[in-house]
Amino acid sequence: MSSYMISVTAADRVGIVYSVTGALLDLGGNVLELSQTVMRGYFTIILEADFPTPRTREQIVEAIHERGKRFDLQVQVTEIKDGLAEPQAAGGERFILTVLGDDSPGIVHSIAGSLAAHGANIVDLHARVDGPRFSLVMEALIPHDLTPAAIRSELERYGRAHKLEAFVQHEDIFAATTEPSPVRLAAALRSQGDSLASH
Amino acid sequence: MHRTEDVLATLSMIRQHKLDVRTVTMGIDLAPCASPDVAVLCDRIRARLIHYAGRLRVVCREVEARYGIPIVNRRIAVSPIGRVAAGQKSEGLLAVARTLDAVAAEVEVDLVGGFTALVQKGWTDSERRLIAALPEVLSTTQRVCSSVNVGTTAAGINMDAIAALGHVLKETAERTRDHDGFGCAKLVIFGNAPNDNPFMAGAFHGAGETDCVINIGVSGPGVVKAAVEDLVAHSPVKPTLGDIAEEIKSTAFRVTRVGELIGREVAARLGVAFGIVDLSLAPTPQIGDSVGEILQAMGVSRLGGPGSTAALALLNDAVKKGGSFASSSVGGLSGAFVAVSEDSALARAVEVGDLTLAKLEAMTAVCSVGLDMIAVPGDTDAETLSALIADEVAIGVINHKTTAVRVIPVPGKKAGDRAVFGGLFGEMDILPIHAAGGSAEFVRHGGRIPAPLSSLRN
Repeated sequence: MSSYMISVTAADRVGIVYSVTGALLDLGGNVLELSQTVMRGYFTIILEADFPTPRTREQIVEAIHERGKRFDLQVQVTEIKDGLAEPQAAGGERFILTVLGDDSPGIVHSIAGSLAAHGANIVDLHARVDGPRFSLVMEALIPHDLTPAAIRSELERYGRAHKLEAFVQHEDIFAATTEPSPVRLAAALRSQGDSLASH
Repeated sequence: MHRTEDVLATLSMIRQHKLDVRTVTMGIDLAPCASPDVAVLCDRIRARLIHYAGRLRVVCREVEARYGIPIVNRRIAVSPIGRVAAGQKSEGLLAVARTLDAVAAEVEVDLVGGFTALVQKGWTDSERRLIAALPEVLSTTQRVCSSVNVGTTAAGINMDAIAALGHVLKETAERTRDHDGFGCAKLVIFGNAPNDNPFMAGAFHGAGETDCVINIGVSGPGVVKAAVEDLVAHSPVKPTLGDIAEEIKSTAFRVTRVGELIGREVAARLGVAFGIVDLSLAPTPQIGDSVGEILQAMGVSRLGGPGSTAALALLNDAVKKGGSFASSSVGGLSGAFVAVSEDSALARAVEVGDLTLAKLEAMTAVCSVGLDMIAVPGDTDAETLSALIADEVAIGVINHKTTAVRVIPVPGKKAGDRAVFGGLFGEMDILPIHAAGGSAEFVRHGGRIPAPLSSLRN
């Protein structure tokens, strides 16, 4: 059994997913997870696939290029070695960080640096520039021993210097306001109360 | 990953349209504090309030930081003091009021409600003395709020209490003359008062509640107004009133969910019960945080003109529908407040003569509460004030809904003069009372207006 992370980028056209997955099927591969997006006209897909019979990276790249030759695909294949797929980053509670304001070079870099310095792990991020306006929405795991206020004050300080507004909020608030599922508190939180007895 | 559009929409509600948690109100049962010895009573009240509310401020700050949602006010509502302090003389009642005031300051809550009497069917000597003590309590304490329930659909209307309250309003206003009679703004006179209302000044911890409970008051007229404006401005086809109702409903859902989440978390962190979310569109004097502006966004450009009542009815109903899906614990009043001095658009409508007392009374038939934060001439006689209260309570009692009166006779000022209460209480031109002074004999009959028939409801 061999497993690979495969990423493919190209100018967006109809049929790329069909071609890439077809190439993997030709090699006997099975897709375990897949994420695809189109950004500013460029298609990117990243997927995990495993193969019951051993395949080399070169075989996979060649098969994808062959199936998708009309798309001018850029393909990257990385072998998954035992143990490396285990989470390496620290856990924490999931917060949404939002940054809005004037664009300038280095915003994502600075914010990511600040989070890294605090041990906060970025798990999802989307940023874009529309004209002069910059917006970023990020999901980050903030370690349990770090208060959101600590991250917030640092981002706010950075924001003031760069004409940006920064917000740090627990993800539950967004789930509550956008999903019809019942509001639930984390089990840890439910047991956190001091259970005040009658006085 | 949450959709970026959803994240930005929620963020926009908070930062641009003033979505907040208006009140976290801790309800505390004070029945176990009862004692014939006033010193013991006050000591027990103090200890019990600190036991439950001592960490309220800290916990609210923690939850605020976690969600980035402002919690604007922290408050306490206690059991009706008319029962807790039963048997106390006037001095004892004043001591209790001062204890409540001092402890509220100590635990850093801005108001404490529950200096309350429930006298819909009759009143005890203690409750009679409590009502008589109100002018002094309301004029000499900072944080104590009071309410008196004078009628219910089941019991009818206690006209003796209403007659007394006319004089209470006059005296309270006179004692707070320097602040345009502001003491009256801390007194709400109810018909069909809910037991779990977290909104001051009328909050109290009613019968049937547990020892300690966290109730949430979520406001959000700015959010609803923005949603209606956006729908009207950007719909590909002109939206119908049904479309507008749907928009309000879905917005009310989101607003209520914020309250539900924060209320549950505050209660969990404190280890006490979670009570209800009261989704009431309560205005503030800030531009953009107005119930009146929602009606204007719906197309009623002259508030108080024909259509105002229908628009308010639509709004109120849609808010309740959205809220009731968002939480199984919706309670309190949950609707739209038309607190005139606190609502810049309503106050402006009074100023230009579009909104009259008669129209406000009509509008209260379809909204939460009733004649709320209304300044009237200082020389209005007590019986006329009582008659005004009786009219409003009758609307609630007959129609099986809560109504209330929070009216301020402004000493030394007449119709058209400006009454200024400051802060969240706002300001407004004083409204004239049509045909004032003609109902004294009616009020002086006293007694009880019988409970209405519940069938034959046309």
